[in-house]
Amino acid sequence: MEPPVATGRPPAHASLQGLFYEFLKVALFGFGGGIALAHRSAVERRQWLTDAEFADVLTLCQIMPGPNVVGIAVCVGAKTRGLPGAIAGFVGFALVPGIFGFVLALLLLGQARMPLIQNILGGISAGAVGLMIGTGLRLLKPRWRDPPAIFFAALAFAGLAIAKFPLLLVLLTLAPLSIAVTVFGRTTPR
Amino acid sequence: MNPLARLTLFLALLSSISFGGVPSVLPDIRNFVVVTNGWLTDGDFTNFFALAQTIPGPNMILMMGLIGWKVAGISGATAAASATAVPPCVMYFVGYRLWDRFRDAAWQKIVRTSLAPLTFGLIVAGGTVMAQTADKTWPAIGISAAAAILLLLTRVNPLWMLGAAGVLGALGVV
Repeated sequence: MEPPVATGRPPAHASLQGLFYEFLKVALFGFGGGIALAHRSAVERRQWLTDAEFADVLTLCQIMPGPNVVGIAVCVGAKTRGLPGAIAGFVGFALVPGIFGFVLALLLLGQARMPLIQNILGGISAGAVGLMIGTGLRLLKPRWRDPPAIFFAALAFAGLAIAKFPLLLVLLTLAPLSIAVTVFGRTTPR
Repeated sequence: MNPLARLTLFLALLSSISFGGVPSVLPDIRNFVVVTNGWLTDGDFTNFFALAQTIPGPNMILMMGLIGWKVAGISGATAAASATAVPPCVMYFVGYRLWDRFRDAAWQKIVRTSLAPLTFGLIVAGGTVMAQTADKTWPAIGISAAAAILLLLTRVNPLWMLGAAGVLGALGVV
C-alpha cells in the first residue's frame, strides 16, 4: 500500500477562531456543495491539511454514520487542534447556523398555510428529493466500472426503497457480504 | 415513556446507524413519526424537509429539530437536534483518532472499498422514498428527475435548481 502523498509543505497552524469561522462559512454558503467548500477552506486557503489527509477525512465521514458534512468539521478540527478544535468546528458549522436556521424556519412555517408558500415549498421539496438522488448517483459515478460496487449499491437501494426492509437489517446483511467479496473476490483491489 | 423521550431515543439510535448520512434513515424516521405515532402529517414531514433544504446550515439536524418542535415545542427541538448531532459527532471524533493512527493499515482499504457503495445506494434509496411522499403529481416527478440529472451531469449550483423548483411551485406547476 502506498503511503499518503506528501505535498512537502508543513501544515499551517489552525486557531480555534479560524476553525469556527471557516466552518461557519461552509455552513452558510455550502448549499449542497459543502464538501467542495470545506476543501477550499481547509486545504487550499488555510493549508491545515494536505489533499491526502482531506481525502481520508472524507472517506471516514462517508462510511461512518451521521450527518456527514458535520463530520468533516469535527474531523478537521480534531486533526488540527484536538478536542477543542473539533468543538470549534462543530459550533461554527452546526450550532450557530442551526439556531438561526431554526428561527428562520419557524417564521416561514408561520406562513405555511398560505397557498403561495405551500406551492413554493411543494416545488422545492420536489427539487430537493431529486438532488438527494443525484448526490447518491454522483458519489457512485467513479465506481461505474466496478461491478461489485454497482451490485452492492443496487442491492442496498432495492432493500431499502423497494423491499422496504429496515435499514439495520439491510446493513447487517450487505456489509459482511460486501467485505467478503472485497477480501476474497478481487485479485486487484482498488 | 412520553413522546419527547421516545423521539429523542429513537433519533439517537437512528443517527448512530445512519451510514451514508441522515438521508439514508429518513424512511425509517418518517415511519416512526408519521405512521407509527402520528405526531406529524405527511405534509408536515415534506414541508420540514423542503424548508431544511432551503435554509443554509446543517439540513438534517435542522429538520429533526423541526420535528422535535412539532412534538414538544422548544425543548423537543433542542432534544431532537442534539440526539441527531451529538452521538455521531462523538463517534466522528473517536473514529478519526483511531483512523488517523492506523491510516496505512490494509483493513482500512478493504472497509473503504466495501462499504462506500452501500452508503451511496442507501442515499439514492432515501431520496426515492422521500420522492414517493413528496411528489404527488407528474410535474413534481419531472422536477425531481430534472434535479437529479442536472446534479449528476452538470456543475450547476444546486441552489439555482432549488430556486427554479420553488418558482415552478409558485407558478402552480406542481
